[in-house]
Amino acid sequence: MKTFKFILSFLITLTIGILFNTRLTIAGSPIPPLGKFLSPFQGFLQNAENEAIDLDESLAMVGVKEPVNVHFDELYIPHIFAQNEEDLFFTQGYITAYHRLWQMEFQLLAAEGRVSEILGSWALNFDREQRRIGLKFAAINSEEVFKKEEPELYKLLESYSNGVNAYIDELSYADYPFEYKLLDYEPEKWTPFKCFLLTSNMNNMLSKGEMDIEHTNAMRLWGREVFEILYPERPLEELLDPVIPRDTQFDFEAIAVEKPDVDFPIEFKNPVLNKQNPDNGSNSFVVNGSKTANGKVILANEPDLSLNLPSIWYVVHLNAPDINVMGASLPGAPTVVIGFNDSIAWGNTNAKRDLVDWYYVQFKDEERNEYLYNGNWVPTRVEIEEFVVRGEDRYYDTIVYTHHGPVVYDRNFGNSGSEISNLAMKWTAHLPSKEIKTSYLVNKAENHDEFVEAFSYFMGPPQNYSFASVNGDIALWINGKFPVKWEEQGKFILDGANISHEWKAFMPQEHNLHVLNPPQNFVSSANQHAADTIYPYYQYDYSYEYYRGRRINDRLRIMSKITVEDMMELQHDNFNYNAFEVLPMMLDSLDSASFTDTERNYYEQLRQWDFFNNPERQGPSIYEQWWTNLNNKLWDEIDSSELKVYRPSWFNTVKVLKENPDFFMIDNQLTSVKETTGDLIRVTFKETIEDLEEYLQEEGNSLLWYEFKNTTISHLLRLAPFSVDNVKIGGNRHIVNAASKGHGPSWRMVVELGDGEVNAWGVYPGSQSGNPGNPMYAHMVQDWATGEYNKLLFSEDINADSEQINYSLTIQPK
Amino acid sequence: MKLIIRIIAIGSLTYFLSPFAPWWLCMAISFLVCAISPSSGLNAFIAGFLGVGLTWMGYAWNLDVQNQSAFSVKIAEIMQVGDPLILVLVSGAVGGIAGGFAAISGTTFRQLFVKPKQNSLYS
Repeated sequence: MKTFKFILSFLITLTIGILFNTRLTIAGSPIPPLGKFLSPFQGFLQNAENEAIDLDESLAMVGVKEPVNVHFDELYIPHIFAQNEEDLFFTQGYITAYHRLWQMEFQLLAAEGRVSEILGSWALNFDREQRRIGLKFAAINSEEVFKKEEPELYKLLESYSNGVNAYIDELSYADYPFEYKLLDYEPEKWTPFKCFLLTSNMNNMLSKGEMDIEHTNAMRLWGREVFEILYPERPLEELLDPVIPRDTQFDFEAIAVEKPDVDFPIEFKNPVLNKQNPDNGSNSFVVNGSKTANGKVILANEPDLSLNLPSIWYVVHLNAPDINVMGASLPGAPTVVIGFNDSIAWGNTNAKRDLVDWYYVQFKDEERNEYLYNGNWVPTRVEIEEFVVRGEDRYYDTIVYTHHGPVVYDRNFGNSGSEISNLAMKWTAHLPSKEIKTSYLVNKAENHDEFVEAFSYFMGPPQNYSFASVNGDIALWINGKFPVKWEEQGKFILDGANISHEWKAFMPQEHNLHVLNPPQNFVSSANQHAADTIYPYYQYDYSYEYYRGRRINDRLRIMSKITVEDMMELQHDNFNYNAFEVLPMMLDSLDSASFTDTERNYYEQLRQWDFFNNPERQGPSIYEQWWTNLNNKLWDEIDSSELKVYRPSWFNTVKVLKENPDFFMIDNQLTSVKETTGDLIRVTFKETIEDLEEYLQEEGNSLLWYEFKNTTISHLLRLAPFSVDNVKIGGNRHIVNAASKGHGPSWRMVVELGDGEVNAWGVYPGSQSGNPGNPMYAHMVQDWATGEYNKLLFSEDINADSEQINYSLTIQPK
Repeated sequence: MKLIIRIIAIGSLTYFLSPFAPWWLCMAISFLVCAISPSSGLNAFIAGFLGVGLTWMGYAWNLDVQNQSAFSVKIAEIMQVGDPLILVLVSGAVGGIAGGFAAISGTTFRQLFVKPKQNSLYS
């Protein structure tokens, strides 16, 4: 009896212990292990910080050779002073992990296709896609080459990894960032491989944009004539304002490629891959001394990306002998990505260029061991990818590789029905590359020549790099590895068996578009067309930006005696170029004589609106709704098409409305009458008023633009309490101040260089600490929205007693 | 009196040792304390429940007050429990249940080795 009592009570106890230690799923939603999670000694309350920094003032670590000083300033930017570069990058790894461990690991697990290890089977398709498009494959390729060819720099990656691991090793469950506790998993060891995954991740964000399959479908559906109306390569050439000024001369012999005799399309299907966000883009502009008030050079840059918390950027100041650099780093890799040093400053914007091509592949048989190429059967390479799925059996996916690249679409992925199409993906991102070397060299570059030299190692994602130096030079280089293409090569699905459909060569770096000290005294880029038509290489992208660049250049051409504040103001410019170009026509099409009172009221508001998307205006909200409704109605044939196609750009939409009022898509096929642009505009105006009246009734407030737009900085796990919504900021997509609902300027930086000194200002929508329980979490969001920049502390004389230093610590060798 | 001493013993050991061990240390403590001192099952349960539960709840409450509930408000929203105070109470309950049942186990474990008291011939 006593034994029974003991066994029974012990079993109950054990069950409770295990239950409280296990992640349970109740009513479909996972609950973190209650004991671990709720214990005040280990659980979530340990993440509630009362001090911004809780590191010891004196640390000792294995792996550090000489003492390192770290000073956190008022923004909690670490100023790292080391006596050698290994210690410097070790400490960058350690401190970045201290602030951002969960984020840096999670985003790279996503890149590697391993999210289902944490989130379970619902993420499996995402993971499979990441593997199939070769993000992990590319990182493996790059690491292998880098390790062999750049052993010295590889060592610095190891130092960085050791620093991250030194932090991870210190942690017990109680110290884990909150997200680990919520999702109940543990951080794993950092490796240099993850640094290469970061490049893959950036490529996935910035160089994967293409519509090859959609284009193929559009040609099938409507033929060439309609295709050219919907997707012209250079609509309204006279309005385009390319990255490289129009009068730039190209004095080199371009590599020639001949367009083979080819009839598009050759095959079509429905794409399923996630697209990169088409809004990913940026603005950067630099003015030289003859345009500024004090004769110094000023560079401004902001990358427009998804607005997330923890922020994509982490600001650091790195100092060791031969290196003194500050700016925005990407958590997960050493060095500074966008920033400045004692001599130069640089920024970048995405250089749009179609770098992904799809090749139709014919396998010999079901075995898929050989595929047709140039009349021969060529062997494939087959890899089996393993996926660990939380709470379920492992999943295995077979990926077949051709010399083009991985066969992403095949019988196991993206095909439905009996007809299987095999499409191999060719992407510059799959090639081994050394961006980390570029970054390292740029951090130390002292002049334009060294800057250019650094980019000889750079492949992608291609960027328009703007440059400014203390000695007064300004420059812009479109850096990246670009295949030489014949006209329209890769705009449609290509024939994988045909040798003439291959990329024949890559452009040498010196043929990449660039300009140094142009006569206009400024350079700028905003993801628009790269150059005018005399550039001897074929260049194409489906999603060039048409508005921000023109606005910036319009302004810079007339601005003079420019100050740092003027540059900041231009970054926050809310001019809605799209509305400016189409709204007057829309208003003129209305029949103002027959307006109701409500209609007249809306009409008057739009008539009086000055086209600026300022946060507290109502005009932008009315226009936004109207323009959305108009596009919905105009392009409904495209949205509802069984073969997937896509909507033309806003810029080209305006062109179609103005120049092709009888275009068949404008006509509503469901009515017997033939509608024109004017009918479309009148119908959607009435719709818009209904929508907005409904919005006013439901939301119960005004149509203030910032409320209507509701810019939200979302936590990566989309947890509302860790996100900041309804941020009071103007702008929108295609506006210089590119803050849309969940996307926008992720780091604003202005740098002034001259007279031997460098002054910089910066702000971003987030905080250095990624801990939602930190008192400073997201503290810069308001400043970011209102345009309050922080003067960045950049000096070699920073010490623990400096006025702007809030917290200092020393790391000693152990 | 013995109950109070036991509660204090379990509570203070939990408080001082928990920062250095996994959360279930509180269960081991309750088990051990009740394994070395005689008590009935109910008595042990109360000791374990209150010893661990009050310590967890008190410490959680203390941390939350220091933090002015800034963080717990967000967690309460994520866990869909509304008030952060509920999180503090649930923490106490979870700790209490774990401690209470471990204490019963401790006391039944002890009884395996303790001979039942013989009624004295002289009493």
